[in-house]
Amino acid sequence: MASAQATAEQVERIIAARSKAKLVRSLIYAVVLLLVAWSVNTTIIEDTDWARMGSVANVLESVAEFIGIDWGLFPHLLEPALETIMVATLGTLLGVVLCVPAIWFGALNITPFMPITYPFARLMMTLSRSIHEIVWALFFVAAVGLGALAGVLAIAVRSIGFIAKMTAEAIEDLDPKPVEAIRAVGGSEFQVFVYAILPQVLPVMVGVIIFEWEINIRRSSVLGLVGAGGLGLVFFRQLNTFNHPGVTTVIIAILILILFGELVSYFVRKAVI
Amino acid sequence: MSILSVKDLKVRYSASGPEILKGVSFDVEEDDFFAIIGPSGAGKSTLIRCINRLVEPKSGSILLYGTEVLSLNSRQLRRLRRGIGMIFQEFNLVDRMSVMDNVLSGRLGYVGNITGLFRLFSKADITRALSVLDRVGLSDHVDKRADQLSGGQRQRVGIARALMQDPKLLLLDEPTSSLDPKISREVMALIMEIAAEYKVPVLCNIHDVQLAMEFCNKIIGLQDGIKMFDGPTSEMNTKKLDEIYAMEVL
Amino acid sequence: MSVKAATPARSGAKSKQPLREWKRFRFPQSLYRWGGVLLGLVFLSYSVVYLNIPLERFFNMFGRVGTLVTERYYPPEIDYITEPDYLASVVDTIQMSYLGALFGMIMAVPLGWFGAYNMSPSKRFVYPLARFVAMSARSVHETIWAILFVTILGFGMMAGVLALTMFCVGFAGKLFAEEIEAIEMGPVEAIRATGANEFMVMVYGVFPQVRVAFTGIGIYTWDVAFRAATVVGFFGAGGMGWYLKRNILQIETYRVSAILVSIVVLVLIAEGVSAWARARVAKAK
Ligand SMILES: Nc1ncnc2c1ncn2[C@@H]1O[C@H](COP(=O)(O)OP(=O)(O)OP(=O)(O)O)[C@@H](O)[C@H]1O
Ligand SMILES: [Mg+2]
Repeated sequence: MASAQATAEQVERIIAARSKAKLVRSLIYAVVLLLVAWSVNTTIIEDTDWARMGSVANVLESVAEFIGIDWGLFPHLLEPALETIMVATLGTLLGVVLCVPAIWFGALNITPFMPITYPFARLMMTLSRSIHEIVWALFFVAAVGLGALAGVLAIAVRSIGFIAKMTAEAIEDLDPKPVEAIRAVGGSEFQVFVYAILPQVLPVMVGVIIFEWEINIRRSSVLGLVGAGGLGLVFFRQLNTFNHPGVTTVIIAILILILFGELVSYFVRKAVI
Repeated sequence: MSILSVKDLKVRYSASGPEILKGVSFDVEEDDFFAIIGPSGAGKSTLIRCINRLVEPKSGSILLYGTEVLSLNSRQLRRLRRGIGMIFQEFNLVDRMSVMDNVLSGRLGYVGNITGLFRLFSKADITRALSVLDRVGLSDHVDKRADQLSGGQRQRVGIARALMQDPKLLLLDEPTSSLDPKISREVMALIMEIAAEYKVPVLCNIHDVQLAMEFCNKIIGLQDGIKMFDGPTSEMNTKKLDEIYAMEVL
Repeated sequence: MSVKAATPARSGAKSKQPLREWKRFRFPQSLYRWGGVLLGLVFLSYSVVYLNIPLERFFNMFGRVGTLVTERYYPPEIDYITEPDYLASVVDTIQMSYLGALFGMIMAVPLGWFGAYNMSPSKRFVYPLARFVAMSARSVHETIWAILFVTILGFGMMAGVLALTMFCVGFAGKLFAEEIEAIEMGPVEAIRATGANEFMVMVYGVFPQVRVAFTGIGIYTWDVAFRAATVVGFFGAGGMGWYLKRNILQIETYRVSAILVSIVVLVLIAEGVSAWARARVAKAK
């Protein structure tokens, strides 16, 4: 039968095509696997002090040391927790203030002098985002000394990039009609900004700020590691005194704090937007 | 002897919600092409989806080839499902997979995890898929992605997928509602031919009464979760239709 | 006026009547609003006092930062970051970042599955558990993970890789779950109706729908992991961070600034690669 013949051929062709696709895919997988194996070898197998680590039982023993909660520590965590929240909040707000020029210069449709101001804003955003908060904190500790101020500054500077980027994008996408309307009634550039641009951009900006604030709680919880106050400092102290259940306790406190942050941001979001 | 026998089927979607099916019973015989008609929201889809337990009924009984469907555990349920082909209004193809893979996915109830995961379908399965695709008239589109096909072609892929299951029963949930009238007729004709060829009974939700009268030999009229009519197509008339669709007319 | 003021919730329905008096916010919304603002301001000023923030130091900080940068950190010692030792640590950092991202994502796929409400095997137990695991992994900062692993396993890149893995599990796990929750359920149901088991339903009904998004998220995860990888070494978990710490302790400020420059450049490159790759993936959809 002719059609059966054709079908048999077709089956062969399809099976061949499928196994060829599979071969190509397996080759890619093999290359990736080799790369991973090489990296595992250099980063894990060769770079680990296996003797110090000891047997699996030793490792489990050290993990077991962390199990448990140091209830006595909780009262001493309230102040650092409050500090952490405060640093995150002040840092976020300062970040918003510092953002303004980056937003103004960084939105293509309102940047005052494109060849200079635009790249400048992009540079600000990039620097802010690409340097880790720990590094920023180290820098500000060097500049203003140990303490919460360094933390606030680090958080602020680290926040600029994201807030400015999202807001600038919102400005680039905004509806031009209200702008024309305000211009048409004779509004000044400033009035255009306040009455036509701000109302459109504010909801986006508020959302972004709340989002960033949540992240900043997580960040400010560790800045104490480099001397900028908050829960990180307590964490460090527990670790250095080998109070391992205390370490766990601090981590739980951080979790609670972040959960609290998520709750607050949920309600603020609902109230504002 | 009836193949499928549904008795006093009751369904609620939530404990406090309204009763969607209020005790429906009917029997499907070996060579039946059953149409379920009724106004929107009557519970047609719910009824069909109870047969393979995509919806869990609250009480009642569904006997399929002598097995009580409602008392199966999940492994037995999967066994049962692989023998029931289902065709959907929205086709429910996996858009980003090729036509071939969509059709082959009809075999998933029969193959193991490894075969499925790496798509190592047997030669027999592929041969079968090709002949089924040939049967529904799609042999030229085997390697296309599902989202490159027209609506009628996509429904044909859906039919092919159901046929891959080697079904003992076909469930159709408004197979033609997303298609234009001409294509609808073609698809219904195709399904009818195939059902006769493969000797599978069919249970088909359908909105279009005319299509139902044309292609089906028996009709169930459903209104607000209650069976209003059950009998051969020849006994259906305008008066009874008006009764079934009373809600819509009013 | 008094009636209207007492039922502000229904003012929308009554707005067809001409208003005799118009105010931006009416009682009691006005009270909530101004109360909220006031509370915020009080909290802020209290924070400044509570944290002992020296405002005068804040205001003359800009000058100090300026002199600090120009005198102590400029010019960066570029020779230092082209030394083979340092370059090797860059390679280490890159390796750590993609291993962490890869391991994290391998674990994040089941976590995303179990933590997606529509596909989770059990909405009562598995779903909240998976969500909690993802949230915890994400909430604990990568540096804390690094310190914990260094404490348990000793110095070295293994601790770094594991720390990044934990971070990526949480990061990608959440995004994966959200992506799975947004799929169309039709194909899932169709695959289920063929008698496939839940694993096959994932492979055939869900995975093809989220593959492109997962790839994009994966690349993005790597990008974020790379940023984190530049500092985990600071706490002994391998990579460039260790050089940063050593030079800070030795007050080699020109070297520190050179390292910072290298970090910025590398992160920029990583970001570029990631953006390019994501665009490619999105187009290949
Ligand atoms: N998943 C669900 N959860 C809750 N209620 C549902 C669900 N699915 C359907 N219903 C309700 O059940 C009733 C019957 O729905 P069903 O889809 O079975 O109707 P139908 O007869 O198929 O209608 P149509 O012709 O529009 O497809 C409707 O009132 C619908 O709101
Ligand atoms: Mg329906």
